[in-house]
Amino acid sequence: MLSYHQKRFLIVDDFSDFRSSVRSMLRELGVKEVDTADTGEQALKMCSQKAYDFILQDFHLGDGKKNGQQVLEDLMEEKLISHESVFVMVTAETSQAMVLSALEHEPDAYLTKPFNRSSLAQRLERLEQRKTLLKPILQALDRGKPMEVLNACIALCKQDIRYSPLCLRFRADALRDLNQNEALERLYDSIIADRPLPWAFAGLGKLLFKRGQVGQAKGIYEKALKVFPMMPSLYDGMADVLVAEGDTKGAQRVLEEAIRLSPLAVRRQALLGKLAMTNEDFDTAAKAYRQAVSQGAQSRFKDAESNLGLAHALISKGSERGLDTRTRLEINTTLSAVAKENPSDPGLQIRARLMKATSLLLNDAETADKLTEQALLRLDGMEQFMSAEAALLVAKQLKLLGQTEAGTAMLKNCVEIYGDDPVVMKDIAKQTDDPSILNSGNAAAELNRQGVRVYKTGNLVEARQVFRKALAMQPKNISIALNMAQSLLHGTDTSVPSAELEECRTCLKMVGLMPDTDARYPRYQKLKSKALGQ
Amino acid sequence: MNDNEQALDFSTVIASTVHDMKNSLAMLMQAHSQWLGQLPESARQAPEQGVMDFEFAHLNGMLVQLLGLYKLGVNQMPLQPAYHELDDFIEAQLACHQEVFASRGIMATYEVDPLSPLGFFDRELIASVLANCINNAIRFARHAVLISVSDDAGQLVLTINDDGEGYPAQMIERQADYVQGINQSTGSTGLGLYFAGRIAALHQRNGVGGRTEISNGGPLGGGVFRLYLP
Repeated sequence: MLSYHQKRFLIVDDFSDFRSSVRSMLRELGVKEVDTADTGEQALKMCSQKAYDFILQDFHLGDGKKNGQQVLEDLMEEKLISHESVFVMVTAETSQAMVLSALEHEPDAYLTKPFNRSSLAQRLERLEQRKTLLKPILQALDRGKPMEVLNACIALCKQDIRYSPLCLRFRADALRDLNQNEALERLYDSIIADRPLPWAFAGLGKLLFKRGQVGQAKGIYEKALKVFPMMPSLYDGMADVLVAEGDTKGAQRVLEEAIRLSPLAVRRQALLGKLAMTNEDFDTAAKAYRQAVSQGAQSRFKDAESNLGLAHALISKGSERGLDTRTRLEINTTLSAVAKENPSDPGLQIRARLMKATSLLLNDAETADKLTEQALLRLDGMEQFMSAEAALLVAKQLKLLGQTEAGTAMLKNCVEIYGDDPVVMKDIAKQTDDPSILNSGNAAAELNRQGVRVYKTGNLVEARQVFRKALAMQPKNISIALNMAQSLLHGTDTSVPSAELEECRTCLKMVGLMPDTDARYPRYQKLKSKALGQ
Repeated sequence: MNDNEQALDFSTVIASTVHDMKNSLAMLMQAHSQWLGQLPESARQAPEQGVMDFEFAHLNGMLVQLLGLYKLGVNQMPLQPAYHELDDFIEAQLACHQEVFASRGIMATYEVDPLSPLGFFDRELIASVLANCINNAIRFARHAVLISVSDDAGQLVLTINDDGEGYPAQMIERQADYVQGINQSTGSTGLGLYFAGRIAALHQRNGVGGRTEISNGGPLGGGVFRLYLP
């Protein structure tokens, strides 16, 4: 008896002929429980209701539909399938699908159409065997315990050293999750020295970049791209490196190359849009953002920023006589979607209105005024911080729309929140040369630096005093507030109420208003869970 | 437009046509197997069945190969190497040809060295080479095909052996020419050798590239095709 007879199967394909043909093959093989779905959305829904052991997923489910790779990503990210389940990607042509696959979510196997019953039976039997062999590792992955993954890998390699190559990827991912950077670098180096594996290159590049070794990361990506010129994720890493080096034009070229290889990638398109905006290449920006919006409609990476970016690119492209009807229509559609889909996000409501007002400035001043007024009203009552980038665009547009005062207030606010970041200050300097704005954060930033120095000497009492003084000057500054909170938590027992703990919580409540896209957000979350004694 | 661009355009036309043909063939094979399932047992065993299965596989193999050659030509061939379990890999290739083996009464077996159960290569590309080799072996084999995997000084060696007449002496003598693509006009075997050679060479390790070799003899006494992967 074959081992997969009692298992639950799901076939996902848009062709009913194919579904019934595979279903009858499975029946002939003795499988009893077979469900089918004709779209990715339906497959996701079914997986949320029933735990399938085998999913046979067609890669191409029709134009404008979620493809098999997107379904796999959604299933993994939303934890709708166990690592123990078998996911087989069925394709007409496999190499194309493999190029489009993201390195972080690879299917367990590819099966090329056409296949016969013996081929299907053979694949299923083998995949089942492999999953059984790796069971302890896969169960640890499901539990989200990287340490247990590592131990399970060690146990498997001890049991049979010949299977150690199968564990490499699991070991690397676990070390990455455990932040064991030195061990991870050694592992990547040894893998690459033995066999060039694309994921090992990508992982090493990412690790080096994360640790600020930008030059070395660049060297790795250059080497990797020579061996794997078809791997889009390597281009993404290279683009990160070039951005860090300030070469935004070079980064744009690299991303364009990646998109030529693999155009179906929402995040990549959005990033290209952003880079092209920086490079003032508005045509490319509009095109990339347009793709990000339309592909994003079916994807988990749907992001209102792409809609706003598209509108911004189209406005920037416009001539002095204003925008043509078609462009205005596109801007209207893309911004209406933002307003409609994010009713409870005041930042997006404000930004969508100001963006639309800017687009109407030359052609319909009356509506522009009305929208600006609405935006100002909401801006007044808004507590949350916008990202520096969003806030600066809002400031610029307010000025354009004749609201100089509100624009200046926005800039001042931005200095208070982000003033310790020289990059943000440089962007602010592009909009104003008013020294009372540009220098308003200097004293607090200096105190913050001083506080860090004192904190490092271990003098907690003095460090807290310095941070406190800085924070009194700039109560919304994220860096200072986080430093304050950290110095207060240091050596404080969070299980008993104390003045320190109270002060710390107040601090964190304020920075809690920062956008969750901020690079410091994870640090905030860590401090918060510590302060709450979790 | 210069000549070069024209040539590329034409090959793109061929490639997309081949792509369509492959999809069409896939539908045909699928419909055929469904229809077969509805026939009574006796009708399923008809000798024409074997011809159909073989020619389906042969056509499919050639189309895959054509697409592969096109991609090699425009430098689009992505090498995606990874570790694969060899017994699984070979079983999968044999399973594709199972009906043909059955209808022709050919016994297909394989041997994998238990000390090296994993190989490092691009599964799709090496599978297309193996599929063509199996197809070729089926054409010439009398009763048996044997696929074996061994290790030669750290290189993985895939050997396909049959009990047929063997390769013509002239072909063995001039195999380097076929691999270099000098003599491509001598039918599908020559083209197959060229394709196999190119794919083998794409697999490199520390400056050493993969290669192919044909000879006669082996345990079954017929043609022997060897694929060396570093």
